[in-house]
Amino acid sequence: MAALQVIPIMFYIIGLGLGDYKDITVKGLEIVKKCDDVYLEAYTSILTCGSSALEEYYGRKLIIADRDLVEQGADDILNEAMKKRYCVIDPFGATTHTDLVLRAKEKGVQVQVIHNASILTAVGCCGLQLYSFGETVSIPYWTENWNPDSFFSKACNNYRNKLHTLCLLDIKVKEPTLESLTKKKKEYMPPKFMSVAEASTQVLKIIEKHKKTGETPEINEDTLCVGLARIGAKDQQIVVGSLTKMAEYDLGPPLHSLIIPGPVLHPMEIDYLERFRI
Amino acid sequence: MMVVVEYFRAGELYGRRNPYHDGQKRNIRNMSVIAHVDHGKSTLTDSLVSKAGIIAGAKAGETRFTDTRKDEQERCITIKSTAISMFFELEDKDLCFINSPDQREKDEKGFLINLIDSPGHVDFSSEVTAALRVTDGALVVVDCVSGVCVQTETVLRQAIAERIKPILFMNKMDRALLELQLEAEELFQTFQRIVENVNVIIATYNDDGGPMGEVRVDPSKGSVGFGSGLHGWAFTLKQFSEMYAEKFKIDVSKLMNRLWGESFFNPKTKKWSKQKDADNKRSFCMYILDPIYKIFDSIMNYKKEEYLALLPKLGITLKHDDKDKDGKQLLKVVMRTWLPAGEALLQMIAIHLPSPVTAQKYRMEMLYEGPHDDEAALGIKNCDPNAPLMMYVSKMVPTSDKGRFYAFGRVFSGKVATGMKARIMGPNYTPGKKEDLYEKAIQRTILMMGRYVEAIEDVPSGNICGLVGVDQFLVKTGTITTFKDAHNLKVMKFSVSPVVRVAVEPKNPADLPKLVEGLKRLAKSDPMVQCIIEESGEHIIAGAGELHLEICLKDLEEDHACIPIKKSDPVVSYRETVSEESDQMCLSKSPNKHNRLFMKAQPMPDGLPEDIDDGKVNPRDDFKQRARYLSEKYDYDVTEARKIWCFGPDGTGPNILVDCTKGVQYLNEIKDSVVAGFQWATKEGVLSEENLRGVRFNIHDVTLHADAIHRGGGQIIPTTRRCLYACLLTAAPRLMEPVYQCEIQCPETAVGGIYGVLNRRRGHVFEEMQVTGTPMFVVKAYLPVNESFGFTADLRSNTGGQAFPQCVFDHWQVLPGDPLEPSTRPYGVVQETRDAVGSFGILFKLRYGSTAAVEPKTIKLSLRLHSRYSSGHTSARPHRYGSTAAVEPQMINYHSAYIQDILKADCRRSSLVGFCRYGSTAAVEPQMINYHSAYIQDILKIPQIVWFKSSLVTLRSIMRNLPG
Repeated sequence: MAALQVIPIMFYIIGLGLGDYKDITVKGLEIVKKCDDVYLEAYTSILTCGSSALEEYYGRKLIIADRDLVEQGADDILNEAMKKRYCVIDPFGATTHTDLVLRAKEKGVQVQVIHNASILTAVGCCGLQLYSFGETVSIPYWTENWNPDSFFSKACNNYRNKLHTLCLLDIKVKEPTLESLTKKKKEYMPPKFMSVAEASTQVLKIIEKHKKTGETPEINEDTLCVGLARIGAKDQQIVVGSLTKMAEYDLGPPLHSLIIPGPVLHPMEIDYLERFRI
Repeated sequence: MMVVVEYFRAGELYGRRNPYHDGQKRNIRNMSVIAHVDHGKSTLTDSLVSKAGIIAGAKAGETRFTDTRKDEQERCITIKSTAISMFFELEDKDLCFINSPDQREKDEKGFLINLIDSPGHVDFSSEVTAALRVTDGALVVVDCVSGVCVQTETVLRQAIAERIKPILFMNKMDRALLELQLEAEELFQTFQRIVENVNVIIATYNDDGGPMGEVRVDPSKGSVGFGSGLHGWAFTLKQFSEMYAEKFKIDVSKLMNRLWGESFFNPKTKKWSKQKDADNKRSFCMYILDPIYKIFDSIMNYKKEEYLALLPKLGITLKHDDKDKDGKQLLKVVMRTWLPAGEALLQMIAIHLPSPVTAQKYRMEMLYEGPHDDEAALGIKNCDPNAPLMMYVSKMVPTSDKGRFYAFGRVFSGKVATGMKARIMGPNYTPGKKEDLYEKAIQRTILMMGRYVEAIEDVPSGNICGLVGVDQFLVKTGTITTFKDAHNLKVMKFSVSPVVRVAVEPKNPADLPKLVEGLKRLAKSDPMVQCIIEESGEHIIAGAGELHLEICLKDLEEDHACIPIKKSDPVVSYRETVSEESDQMCLSKSPNKHNRLFMKAQPMPDGLPEDIDDGKVNPRDDFKQRARYLSEKYDYDVTEARKIWCFGPDGTGPNILVDCTKGVQYLNEIKDSVVAGFQWATKEGVLSEENLRGVRFNIHDVTLHADAIHRGGGQIIPTTRRCLYACLLTAAPRLMEPVYQCEIQCPETAVGGIYGVLNRRRGHVFEEMQVTGTPMFVVKAYLPVNESFGFTADLRSNTGGQAFPQCVFDHWQVLPGDPLEPSTRPYGVVQETRDAVGSFGILFKLRYGSTAAVEPKTIKLSLRLHSRYSSGHTSARPHRYGSTAAVEPQMINYHSAYIQDILKADCRRSSLVGFCRYGSTAAVEPQMINYHSAYIQDILKIPQIVWFKSSLVTLRSIMRNLPG
């Protein structure tokens, strides 16, 4: 059987796909089955299915790697990886993993990446051409006194250049609370996932702030937006409407993304988007 | 008996005519009595208390009514400040001396005096601070034999800073006359010198052109009193002027001018002169001191005929049962009848101390944090009982109900009433937020009457009172208001800091909950004491000095926790600082590696930390003005000085973070996180988790992730802290220890003994002088607080009990030596503070115990590590690693590999320097090892290379001695 075939000692990073447990590639699945230890990276993204479904399908135990383990315990993993076959499964793309690969290289651990679909490519499903996307931004959860709005000016830049902006929305999984950061014992916030409605509300607040200072930003309340939810899953949902409408629309469970299309759309794009109009 | 008397009195007073009536705020005097320890505050206060009829006149001077605690009575020392409200009437002839319309109500003779008797011992000066805050005037008592002492200056300086108007009282004249037998002219010189000394202090801290105007004391104006609290007599020049006014046919106030200073009278020619001639005499000596001397002389020398002739001249008629007395007893009666102390004091207070109406006009801007034109500010300024309530709670007074406290404070504006709903705001409240804010009803308002309290319906602005039911919502102090947009009243600034600490634990472990509860109560009952729970689970009490701690521990044991307590030896707090600029650029990466901070540390120029302490440079300044000041005085670059991000710890401490970057995008988005990391690092330094002092951190460059999500607090705060730690380690870190200024009074023969004791304790004398007119010497010295434990006893035994020290915290001083080098003193201190964390037990047991409680995963690893060092090597090594591991258990989990590395490196190369470095670095911040192993290795390499080159021989010898 193919499963018995020996694979080289290596650190594998395997893309898991967007939707459910079956989205893994055949190549990836083969490696997962043969590795000594399998980590499931669980904080740059979440699975729409539970990890138990994965374990069942792969027929093996998964170690959940949270933020602390990946960011601070990576050296331990990599040290072990010199002797064993390890793989971390996750859609490649989150910036954390660049560091992981770099560190692996430094230690002389060989790395192989098995790619899969990612939200960056899957957004094509809403009909907007991938070619005309500009810089991708993330919208972070605001706290009481941390209200960054630099992503908005980036989105405006894209808009000015007639490019679409893909906004990834903040997820908070095992994020230490600000109070506990300065203590030695960490306390974690309950997991949170930003919805399109929340993101739109924050953007509206920024627009309002800009207007108060007398500016008229390119992106305003009436700008057309595309809300995406659970892309790749069976119940994926896409809606199109003005920012104000988005702020009130409930797209259901996570994960969500928001697209602010450029001002000039190709007729094909328009036709496609019209199908999702609310 | 006394209970009955007082209760009856108070009831009568307040029942019949309520001095708290709105219309009478101008007839209120809120005052504190302040002085050096043992100058006779409480004794003097008795005179007033007896005048109010609360205690019998004969007992005044002995009762010390305001020393309400048993230990206060036993030790004859005031520990807690005590408030008492008294009501007096002034005679018409005295009323006319009060000319300002804000100083008295028309047609009202009654005056309400709210008096607070404060402790004189420096360890309790936080009590003085709390007393000064709620009063407007201060009676400064000076022992005319000892003169102005160190604590006199401290409290006077505090008073001026709080805009409290002082009046002066020269106490213990009986001693000057009976013991020292000073000549009249000598005594006058002594008085004059004390008045001058006091005025010099006042002039140093007060600006005559300032809002308080001229506040210097002047005997010829009547703002200086003379007398003896113990014997119950006192006078001002006013009393004597009144006696002589008719004889000379001169106006009383004009005569007062003539009775003081360079004013001489020739009895033959009946001419006044400004110069001393052969046949004229100083008027003060002639008209004031001479009669007093005569009485003393005749009575003390039993010249019965002489004094029997004298008494009627002075208008004194002896009561029947006093006629048989003689000697000191008679002297007391005579003097007390002739010059009753209560009368003189009352006049001084009523005439020279400001009413709340006068005082609040200029005190408002010092008191209120908010805008100076909002409703609350105006209410305070005008002392308006109809404005919104603004009350400052300055301390908590224990009630007879254990565990409950009266919140004691001053109503500055509006009216506080039983049952009213108010906003209770703690010191951390910021307007518009919910933090540290409660909206509750005031259960009851009460008057504080020394040992007793009395319920009262409402208390209008300008008064001092207590509240019931507020203690649950405030820790120590706070603001109570009914105005929704009110800001806090400013928190008090203490002149002493809690530099001495002990660890406590219950003798019976099962009593721990009681101890915790007791500590909470202790923290409430004392304005200064800090009760800290260390992460090890240890309970620390920090106080101002040995005596303060002793009293706190006693209170804790007997009143608050009511359980037997074990305590460790006292230890002092240190500060951490740096002595050079970081020798390299320090870099830290965030956990996700995408954000990088580049910083350096450097020492602040001399004087700047003190300027920050004193508030001359502070976070609230306009940044342009502050930058100008810093560039002029300290040669700081103006553009950089404008970009001071914050002060720390606690947002106000003597360390700064300066943004020296150029053109970094999105920098303002991480500012809050960097500031939070800075506050954290400055609070818990790299060496021994002590506060930092005098360090300037410069941010030179910052690389940020393109996306805001990846540069949140979770990424930036720990990174900043790590980077700051690296900055400290590379900038030649140093420890600073607190130093007392110590003033010792003794006869000349004892001076030699003092030097011996000081030398042994690393103290050094910087001033030695004779107290003019006495055989006493005053020695002033600096003494490290660390060496001060048992100092008083040591000094006494070495001087035959003749020397009495008074120590005031003075400054921080660098402990010479590199704390990273073994065998230096600071190294020892750092190790001690790290190890001392478990002062009650075996380090490991405690530490791992607590680790286990936090994170069970670590136990296995820590045990492995434990066996590693307990099994081998020298005794120093396991100890060392012990503390390494002890500081941050998590490292064991995450960084076992690294620790093993250290262990290996250590055994193989046995580089002692490197070892120490590793030790301390690792102990300090294990996480940095992970992120910055490259960087650390850099630091580590240096000593190793040096070591290898310089001492191969030693290396070999050490290698031979190594096990394995």
